Amino acid sequence: MKRVRISRCATQLLAGRTPRRPSCPCAAGLQRDITPHDYRIQARSLSTVAIEKDSELDIGTPDPTSSQPAAAPAPPAIPHRKRLAPEQLPSPHPFAASHSTKLSALRARLSLHQRFPLQTLARTLVHPSADPDPAFNNASLSILGANLLGYYTTEYLLCNYPRLPIPVIFAAQHAYTGPKALATVASEWGIEAAAEPGGEVDPGLLQFRRLRSGSRVPAALRRQVPWKWNVTTTHRIVATDEFGSDNTPPDPQSLSAVPVPMEEAAQSFVRALIGALHLHLGSPLVKRFYRDHFLSRQLDLSTLFDFRTPTRDLSKLCAREGFEAPVARLISETGRASRHPVFVVGVYSGKDKLGEGAGASLEEARFRAAAAALKAWYLYRPIEVTLPSSMEGELDTRKWKPNMVDCGEVIV
Amino acid sequence: MASKTPIRSLLQTTRSSLCPARLSRPSLVRTSACAFSTTTPSRAPEYETEAADRPRWQQTPPRMVAPFRTRPLPRGPVFHVNDDPRKLDDAYVRMLGPGGDKMLSEEVKWLAVTHKSFDHGRRGFNDRLAFLGKRIISLQTSQALLSFPPAESWPRDANGHPVPDKFGRSPFIHPALANLASLTADAKDSVLDKKRLSGLAERYGLDKVTRWKPKRADNLQGSGIDAVLMTSLYAIVGAIALERGGEVANKVTQDKILAPLGFTFSSD
Repeated sequence: MKRVRISRCATQLLAGRTPRRPSCPCAAGLQRDITPHDYRIQARSLSTVAIEKDSELDIGTPDPTSSQPAAAPAPPAIPHRKRLAPEQLPSPHPFAASHSTKLSALRARLSLHQRFPLQTLARTLVHPSADPDPAFNNASLSILGANLLGYYTTEYLLCNYPRLPIPVIFAAQHAYTGPKALATVASEWGIEAAAEPGGEVDPGLLQFRRLRSGSRVPAALRRQVPWKWNVTTTHRIVATDEFGSDNTPPDPQSLSAVPVPMEEAAQSFVRALIGALHLHLGSPLVKRFYRDHFLSRQLDLSTLFDFRTPTRDLSKLCAREGFEAPVARLISETGRASRHPVFVVGVYSGKDKLGEGAGASLEEARFRAAAAALKAWYLYRPIEVTLPSSMEGELDTRKWKPNMVDCGEVIV
Repeated sequence: MASKTPIRSLLQTTRSSLCPARLSRPSLVRTSACAFSTTTPSRAPEYETEAADRPRWQQTPPRMVAPFRTRPLPRGPVFHVNDDPRKLDDAYVRMLGPGGDKMLSEEVKWLAVTHKSFDHGRRGFNDRLAFLGKRIISLQTSQALLSFPPAESWPRDANGHPVPDKFGRSPFIHPALANLASLTADAKDSVLDKKRLSGLAERYGLDKVTRWKPKRADNLQGSGIDAVLMTSLYAIVGAIALERGGEVANKVTQDKILAPLGFTFSSD
């Protein structure tokens, strides 16, 4: 049977097609949503041949203009099985991906190249709780994608803010690529979730088993590592994930038996998409994608700081760096005897003013000034940085400029 | 002043043997923050002028040291850390090959093997470097697992077509997704196991040069030497990434960490 190349234009999929298939009387009205399980279509959709050219992906579809519809000489390689209704499948058949308007619209919306297969895009939307089979869900892809997102975010933060303290790095990672951030990104991309997973849902919907409201978060999503009574920051760095969680995140495949919140499913989708893009389209594109969708988000790092005793920290920092001991001096004040005084205090090391703060009391102003001085130190930003990932596969090593390595935040 | 002399002599007795010659003019040569201050440093006698010339890794900042110890000494034997640059260079050469000691600058070389417990974090520590190194090693492990076919791949029939599962469907086959089944969290955890990585670090001699403070010097396992060595290993990779670039760091990860753990990489 002649194979038909899917044209670049997606309107062919939008048109109401009536392929020549053995028609089911009840499928006529539900043509778009139901994938009839036809062994001949399945045989055509299987392709173990390596894709030679990247620009086209041959998918065997029933060609209305073909001259040999019924007299297909090649019998299917697999034995004819009892036809299962789509509702009995855990997730949509891979063949349904090529007919889903939602998927092709999503691919176009994300400006992805046509050679990124819709079947892989459909696979990234299937959470293990919807389909436990690892060959059909996004568990492995989400592991790869999580590694990529963590790496790119970490190198961006460490190169652009070399003195950032570790808790702030954790918080910034969480803000850029944490579960809530990825769930927001997924909703911004227009991802909607199916009410219940199954083979009959549109492949362009996010499929996962929903956690009923009011029910407890399953144990698989909670404490994972053996409990330690003192979980230090350094322990979090090596033992848990890039957000400094107390526990290691659950294995994505282990969530196949539990209902999950939507945030977890959306997070797995975004990660799996990044992983799939890396495998299909290569890392330069993933870096551009990451820059466009994640680094373009604004994050004010100065709001992530939370000092307990900034004056003591600043004093130790000046001692460590060899500056003169910090001295707080009142710069200006107003309304000392009134109900709303304002004091402006500056913290000086010798003749240099390190920071300034205004407050309603002398104490508050002094604390704010010390905090401002510490932020000025920790938020130092070099003008030009070269990221480590920019040298991957790069032949011209003259572009490389070594990054500043800071010794660490001040420990009191 | 007479009252200052006993303190000064007390401080001088704590100096180690590596002591540069005293200069007439104090100069603050720090790796960072040189341009931060516009005032000349104070020449008051309480600031040790010779201490200002020594690198950060070599001494605790003088103004952070109390003149005498007030707390009792901890129980157990004293734990000695390495302060010989040649031993550190040997460990780097053993790990990174010839020229390994030239790969990083001097301060970063010491910083990468300094745990936060050493000297109460006053000489810097390798947390940030270990954070980046762990991301790199994790990503490289995932990619290495993807380059090997899985132990159990989808069953195929005599013609090589995938056999349908119980629902009668076969997965979408594409060369880019060929070995995806071998990337599982269990596989990654078994590769990056704490015991295996600390054993690897010990083979490289990092346990002799890592600067840390164990809870009990006679029970290093109970004090957590495995985690400390893992941190050092990650930190060295992170330092190479920041100072030399991602390409070199990936190569070091593949050749010096993943290859001894059982992966083989074809040289491209």
